[in-house]
Amino acid sequence: MGLLVGKRIFSIVALCMMVGLLLLPVVVALPSLAIGEETHAGDAAKKDGDKVEKGRDVYYKTEGIVSGAPAPKTTDGVKDYPRYNFESRVLLWFANQQHLYYGSFVLAVPIFCMIIEFMGVVTKDKALAKRYDQLAYDFIKISLTAYSLTAILGGILIFTFLTLYPAFFSYLSGIFRPVMHIYALMFVAESGTLYIYYYGWDKMREGFLKWIHLSMSVVLNVIGTLLMFLANSWIGFMMSPAGVDEQGRYLGNIWHVIHTALWNPLNLHRILGNMAFGGGVVAAYAAYKFLASKTDEDRAHYDWMGYIAMALGVAFLIPLPFAGYWLMREVYAYRQQMGITLMGGLLAWLFIIQATMIGILFLSTNYYLWQAMGRMRGAEKYQRYIKYLVFLLACGFIVFITPHTMVMTPAELKAMGGQQHPVLGNYGVMSAKNGGINVIITTTVLSFVWYMRGNKVSTVSWAKFGNIFMGVFFGCAYFNIIFLAVYGYYIPANVRVGLSVPQVATTLSCLFFMFALNSFMMKGAKQMGPIEWGKISARSQYALIMLATAFTWMMGLMGYIRSSVRLFWHVNEIMRDNSPWAYTHTVGFAANMISANVLFFWITILFVFWLGSLTAKKVPVESKAGIPGSVPQPAPSH
Amino acid sequence: MSALNNPVIALVVSLIITVGYFVLVDHYLMDMQGLDFWYLFKN
Repeated sequence: MGLLVGKRIFSIVALCMMVGLLLLPVVVALPSLAIGEETHAGDAAKKDGDKVEKGRDVYYKTEGIVSGAPAPKTTDGVKDYPRYNFESRVLLWFANQQHLYYGSFVLAVPIFCMIIEFMGVVTKDKALAKRYDQLAYDFIKISLTAYSLTAILGGILIFTFLTLYPAFFSYLSGIFRPVMHIYALMFVAESGTLYIYYYGWDKMREGFLKWIHLSMSVVLNVIGTLLMFLANSWIGFMMSPAGVDEQGRYLGNIWHVIHTALWNPLNLHRILGNMAFGGGVVAAYAAYKFLASKTDEDRAHYDWMGYIAMALGVAFLIPLPFAGYWLMREVYAYRQQMGITLMGGLLAWLFIIQATMIGILFLSTNYYLWQAMGRMRGAEKYQRYIKYLVFLLACGFIVFITPHTMVMTPAELKAMGGQQHPVLGNYGVMSAKNGGINVIITTTVLSFVWYMRGNKVSTVSWAKFGNIFMGVFFGCAYFNIIFLAVYGYYIPANVRVGLSVPQVATTLSCLFFMFALNSFMMKGAKQMGPIEWGKISARSQYALIMLATAFTWMMGLMGYIRSSVRLFWHVNEIMRDNSPWAYTHTVGFAANMISANVLFFWITILFVFWLGSLTAKKVPVESKAGIPGSVPQPAPSH
Repeated sequence: MSALNNPVIALVVSLIITVGYFVLVDHYLMDMQGLDFWYLFKN
């Protein structure tokens, strides 16, 4: 009894500490927020007897007291751009990308842990609850080693900035000075909560204590998300500055500096991207362990782990293109020229590569699901229809990746009669591409629905109607998506642009309504047989590895595109990049650089996994009994 | 409910609900953007 009370007190103290750590940066920031930077600037000016100088915000168009130095006008030389005998931008690119990969991973995995731990707490099946709990613990263990590496890479990144771009870094840190210490304190808070969360796992396994532990994961993720939002405000400021006048002088309102035109779309896009990426990496880890497993028990465990990670990753991948669409829409709204550079100009070919990668992601996901149906008795009935899904996916993919114009020699141009191919050129416009990607996503939703009902037969009285309704709904959804794509060719551009919204709504209707309908139909369904975890082809695991690699590559590519759109500006239209590297790289160079980053990340993350496996070997025998897959897996649930 | 399990009735009812739903989605989501979904048919 005394031990239990002690544990409770310990848990509550730990939770209070976490909340305290979360509030610490806010408390520290209160004096400066209460006094206000404007007052500081105003007081300083009055003391000096100077006239208070006012400036107009470049974005919000409000007036504010000038409280900072103008953006430095740099020159090409060692003073502003000290260098080694190497392109400084490439070094910074590398440091930034690696930090981002690890940062994304360690921010995403605790969110997974929270979801999985919650599933474990609410599930009524005790054995399944234990498996979920162990899986969440395995996830957080992987992220813990990666967390140290993230911090090291963050340090390397700051040193790279200080060494190679001192003028720019000094300006940026000057602008964000009111929140720089908050960022640092948030990082301390994140570290503290992560360690309490991890090391408190065993002490808080049951009952009320488990809920306290789960609350800790919420606090941990709130801190992590805020940390990411703050980091996003820097890139948002570089792309679409606000809170400064046209000379780049800070006007005393830090919220304007943070809340730029692109901040919120970037926040949403990054949070979804991080989750999809984190899911991909964990799924690849599970796939690797599956392939290396020597026993059926291990294979069952890692097969299950791979499936959960993949499902969570794909759950965030599906809305990702829509978040990307919102981001691009905001880019166009902010500066039309920026949007044209991205989608129709200098960087347009990178978007073709991006479309190819997105297509690969969805193809790999579908392939994995079709393979995974092989471990369910009863799912054979869907096998003969898969070829139609392949056809739909292939059509959507081919349309999605067709470029608008081609790079050609004058002779080829003459032979074709123009930059656009007379037939294929029609598929290079947004109307067709929106149709293509929505067909791909709807097909992925359909594959998921088939997978979820693979080994089940509905026993509800309206099962026949439900099945017919589902078939008709999907059929009409495909028709509506394709009809809207074709309709776009016959109406003016200003009307056509709005068609993407009902197209997206059609896809999301399939996702939400059909998942809900399927769940109702499968309540109390008759099982044809258990899911035989571990009895899946090796090819499916390679699909998971492919999924993770494609995520990593696409993240590198999109980061490069987003950064390159500033062209020769450090801070768009405020601080010019006068270094010798203020030009846009060729597509080939960029692709090689991204591949090198991906390769380095995967080599280092394998090292992290290896380190994790060293600690796993020290786990005592009795605790091994709790690991899912250690007993043959009848696994009644997905 | 037993009538709905008749394949023909189920198909007809499903078609009416689904087609009606997607027409409403197309119309109202364009209308919310200040655009006319029926532009081609009116001109």
